[in-house]
Amino acid sequence: MTLAALFLPLVTALLLSFTAQAQAKRALALAGTILTFVVALFLPGDSGVAVPWIPGFGVYFALNPAGAAAVLVPVAALVMIPTVLYAGLKVERRGGAFIALLLAMQTGLNGIFLAKDLVLFYLFWEATLIPSLFMLGIWGGGERRAAVMKYMIYAMTGSLLMLLAILAIKPLSGAASYQLADLLAVTPQLALRTQVWLFIGFTLAFAVKLPLWPLHAWLPDFHEQNHSSGAADVAGTLYKVGAWGFFAWALPLLPAAATLIAPILLALAAFTAVYAALIATSQSHFKRLLAYASLSHMGIVGVGLFGLHLAGLNGAIYLLAAQMVSTGGMFLISGMLFDRKGSFDLSNFGGLAKSAPAMAALTLFVLFASIGVPGLANFPGEFMSLLGAYQNNPYLAAFATLAVIAAGVYGVNLYQRLYQGREEHGAVRELAGLELLVLVPIVVGILWLGLAPQPQLERIEEQSQLLSTQLEVQMTETVLLKGAER
Amino acid sequence: MNDIVTWAALAPVLALLGSLINGLFGRRLKEPLPGIIGSVAVGAGFVLSFIAFIALLGRTEPSVSLVLWPYLNAGSFSLELGFVIDSLSVIMMMIVTGVGLLIHIYSIGYMHGDSGFSRYFAGLNLFIAAMLILVMADSFLLMFVGWEGVGVVSYLLIGFWYRERLNADAARKAFIVNRIGDVGFLLAMFLIFKTFGTLNIAEVNEAALSLVFGSAALSLIALLLLLAATGKSAQLPLQVWLPDAMAGPTPVSALIHAATMVTAGVYLIARAAPLFAQSPAAAATVAWVGALTAIIAAFVALSQKDIKKILAYSTISQLGYMFVAVGVGAYWVGIFHFFTNAFFKALLFLTAGSVIHALGGEQNIDKMGGLGKSMKITGGTALIAALAISGAPFLSGFFSKDAILSASFNSELIAGYGNYVIYAILLLTAVMTAFYMFRWYYRVFAGSERLDKETKVRLHESPSIMTVPLLILAFFSVVAGYIGLPEFAFPNWLAPWLEQSIEAPVNFVHRAVLTEWLLIGLSVLAVAVGLGLAYWVYHLKNAAPLARFNQGFLGALNRFSQSGAGFDGLYRNVFINPGEGTAGGLAAVDKEVIDRGIRAGFVSVGLLGRLLGLWQSGYVRIYALAMLAGIAILVILLAVTGVMA
Repeated sequence: MTLAALFLPLVTALLLSFTAQAQAKRALALAGTILTFVVALFLPGDSGVAVPWIPGFGVYFALNPAGAAAVLVPVAALVMIPTVLYAGLKVERRGGAFIALLLAMQTGLNGIFLAKDLVLFYLFWEATLIPSLFMLGIWGGGERRAAVMKYMIYAMTGSLLMLLAILAIKPLSGAASYQLADLLAVTPQLALRTQVWLFIGFTLAFAVKLPLWPLHAWLPDFHEQNHSSGAADVAGTLYKVGAWGFFAWALPLLPAAATLIAPILLALAAFTAVYAALIATSQSHFKRLLAYASLSHMGIVGVGLFGLHLAGLNGAIYLLAAQMVSTGGMFLISGMLFDRKGSFDLSNFGGLAKSAPAMAALTLFVLFASIGVPGLANFPGEFMSLLGAYQNNPYLAAFATLAVIAAGVYGVNLYQRLYQGREEHGAVRELAGLELLVLVPIVVGILWLGLAPQPQLERIEEQSQLLSTQLEVQMTETVLLKGAER
Repeated sequence: MNDIVTWAALAPVLALLGSLINGLFGRRLKEPLPGIIGSVAVGAGFVLSFIAFIALLGRTEPSVSLVLWPYLNAGSFSLELGFVIDSLSVIMMMIVTGVGLLIHIYSIGYMHGDSGFSRYFAGLNLFIAAMLILVMADSFLLMFVGWEGVGVVSYLLIGFWYRERLNADAARKAFIVNRIGDVGFLLAMFLIFKTFGTLNIAEVNEAALSLVFGSAALSLIALLLLLAATGKSAQLPLQVWLPDAMAGPTPVSALIHAATMVTAGVYLIARAAPLFAQSPAAAATVAWVGALTAIIAAFVALSQKDIKKILAYSTISQLGYMFVAVGVGAYWVGIFHFFTNAFFKALLFLTAGSVIHALGGEQNIDKMGGLGKSMKITGGTALIAALAISGAPFLSGFFSKDAILSASFNSELIAGYGNYVIYAILLLTAVMTAFYMFRWYYRVFAGSERLDKETKVRLHESPSIMTVPLLILAFFSVVAGYIGLPEFAFPNWLAPWLEQSIEAPVNFVHRAVLTEWLLIGLSVLAVAVGLGLAYWVYHLKNAAPLARFNQGFLGALNRFSQSGAGFDGLYRNVFINPGEGTAGGLAAVDKEVIDRGIRAGFVSVGLLGRLLGLWQSGYVRIYALAMLAGIAILVILLAVTGVMA
């Protein structure tokens, strides 16, 4: 199952190149994503694989869906269904290639979530960047070159430092291999100074991808310039894997450095959450607004993560999954509105609820999910992230909670500018046919994640419990050490 | 589901179902079918709630818990969603569904011919579902689900006629102000979990009683919950959204912004009573917020000209009374006033709706007058409601308001002489209440007709689908008070019934019976003074004595009152403008400083600078190749380190 979930999208992408007819390509791609989703649902309980890959260097082809990967992979797969469907409808120039890149990204993403070998993780991490760059560079808007450049520089600089850290960690710790279990057995015992240097290496790569202030500047341009269907933006939303990097690798491998540095990162994350939400309130470009809103959510993910409290760790990963659906849904809706109006400038909209009531209702539903209305997808994760961080650091968590107000502001402002008032800029087509179908998985996902978080949470818990225990041991030791010094 | 009481858990499900049917298929249904579906869904909920009430009546422990499903159980955090149906929540449920049903039925007439007819009932049913979840929740988290749920529906219904900019603005304002309160609720939950390790209300209440009296954590939790309550219940300093919320259809104002949702803050404090009873500082803050809100809102109500705005400020003022009740520790009294207020306040709004309906949308009371002659039922029931809210003897408002006055006079929870000051404020507010309510009544229903001719021709009593709910509400506005007669001399059913669910030890001074009678006498006097003054000014002199309120100090006072005591302007200058400025400033900083600064940093690293130059030549593929090359280099490097290791 693990291998199938990993490679099905890539295989589909390859098959696409042997298909000539556009209609057949779409059908094939859709079938591939649906099949991947079904397979991903069976991931929990699967034993994964671990075979020597480059044995001389201790690199294993090790993948295992145990823990949070069994949540993130299926949720990402669910979101890929409407994304591929909508891209098939709306990417006219070389649509097949676009979809192939989307699918290639999905394989890369699944690899990032499933990898249990650090080098393998890095390979997926880097490989996923390629399709993402291609989509922006080939299908992007007028200013795409500058956006691609910025995006790549941020990503590559981060990766470079992570690469150095990865190369160093095995020899320094004397681990038997690059497999997570082998590293875990020794790296936590590394001297604090060593851990801190390694942690910084990982942190830059992950903070760029989280993204965390002030390493986020690529994000608004990335979204503004990506293809107007919004499909590439969804892929970009799924690709916000920085939090995962911390959760699955940096925090467990280097717990001493993590407990030392986490408060700084927590402060940055809390700041990111409020800062980005505030900026979102003043945006007049639809996708830039969504980019900042999404940045604010990732700030809250960071708050949950760096609060180093079990509830927050659970919440952070849960929110990471939930925002795939809600933010992804918003980007698809932005594409549908662009399709009608030919613009992302919010001053060109208004009063559309009259001509497109179902579209208005669905937009509001996804928007409410995105700003954390309880009962919908983002709330459980947001709540637990903030609650967890509050247990260890009340002031920063309380500060981050203020983002909830700003989210209310940009949320209802956006809705008003799109749908309320008079139709001063003309009426639009109501949602129909395949467009409605595109939004079905989004709505289902929002309700699924919002109403019944327990099963997913248990899977995340499996992994975060280990991490939290480890961090707690570390924190107790630090306290003891400090006591002994006195 | 063996216990018949648990069937009441279906009430929110039915309302949700009604909402879904109307929301998804309503546009294909012919009027009045969506209204009937909505009414049946709520009516069935009322029947279930009533059955639960009857079943609980005979029990020694009237409380039934029902676990729904596990929600967030992970590590030390554990939370199952569950309902609790006890003597407190069942009263709330009956009011929400009962008054809700009457307003649904009334709406079938009121919304007749509106193009959003089914959307309206979908929203109204969704509101009932969310409100029921709020009152039935057994944990703060589930209560918060309902709490934000009713906020969302309130947003949807205030902006129901979304094509008018003002309505959409009002909806937005309500949502955002409520979110400020919600942050208080969230922070309270974080601190509750930190302090008690649970969010289950019963467990928290029990643990709170064993905590040190007046401890800092308790006070902070209580104050944060108060912040939440001020948002939802439109109390100082978050009262500003409610007058604007009148932009919604009038039955919505009656149900959501008068009878039920806005009382959620009172309910929250009553539910979490031990947290407040154990923290005198927070309790005193609640009482003071209530008292100040009551008198300021009453002051603003004196001069408003919109038939609904007057009622909106009176709602804020009455909620202030309820806050005083739960602030001084008389929790059952807060619920009692909620109970009576639900009838007469809903009735006031529905009569106003009937008037607006008859006048084709006119809301200015200067253009009304004498309507009682042609609208006998509306006028008659409005008179009953005005008397009830003013606290005229033997009507419902008299008993509940007097209970609040007496409780604030006798409470030992408020230190020093604070409770006497609060009592005096409320007494003065009672005078003002009688005055502005009868100003309202005389200007609308009595005296000279000031209508224009066109409107006069169209003038008619509303159809019976609207007037029958008025009559039923009028009946309860008269009798609802008899379940809570003054305890010192009469049998009181409500207090012991509610106190089975609210266990919070607050001491009240027991005064001589004579003193208690004296207090009642003072209340009656207050009503008489206010009513008499209104009779003199508006009935005998036809508003002539008001001429001097246009200039000098009195004129300034008048304008201050008309402006809603200046809060909107103040908040615009203190919060909104600086907030928008900050957001715009940050956006500019983000674009110019952060972005450019970091780019400059990168470019100064020579190698990357050259890479950049290459990129600008536009060969995307080269980069992909570069990356593949990077991966290849990685493998080679790995090989090297592998050899070294």
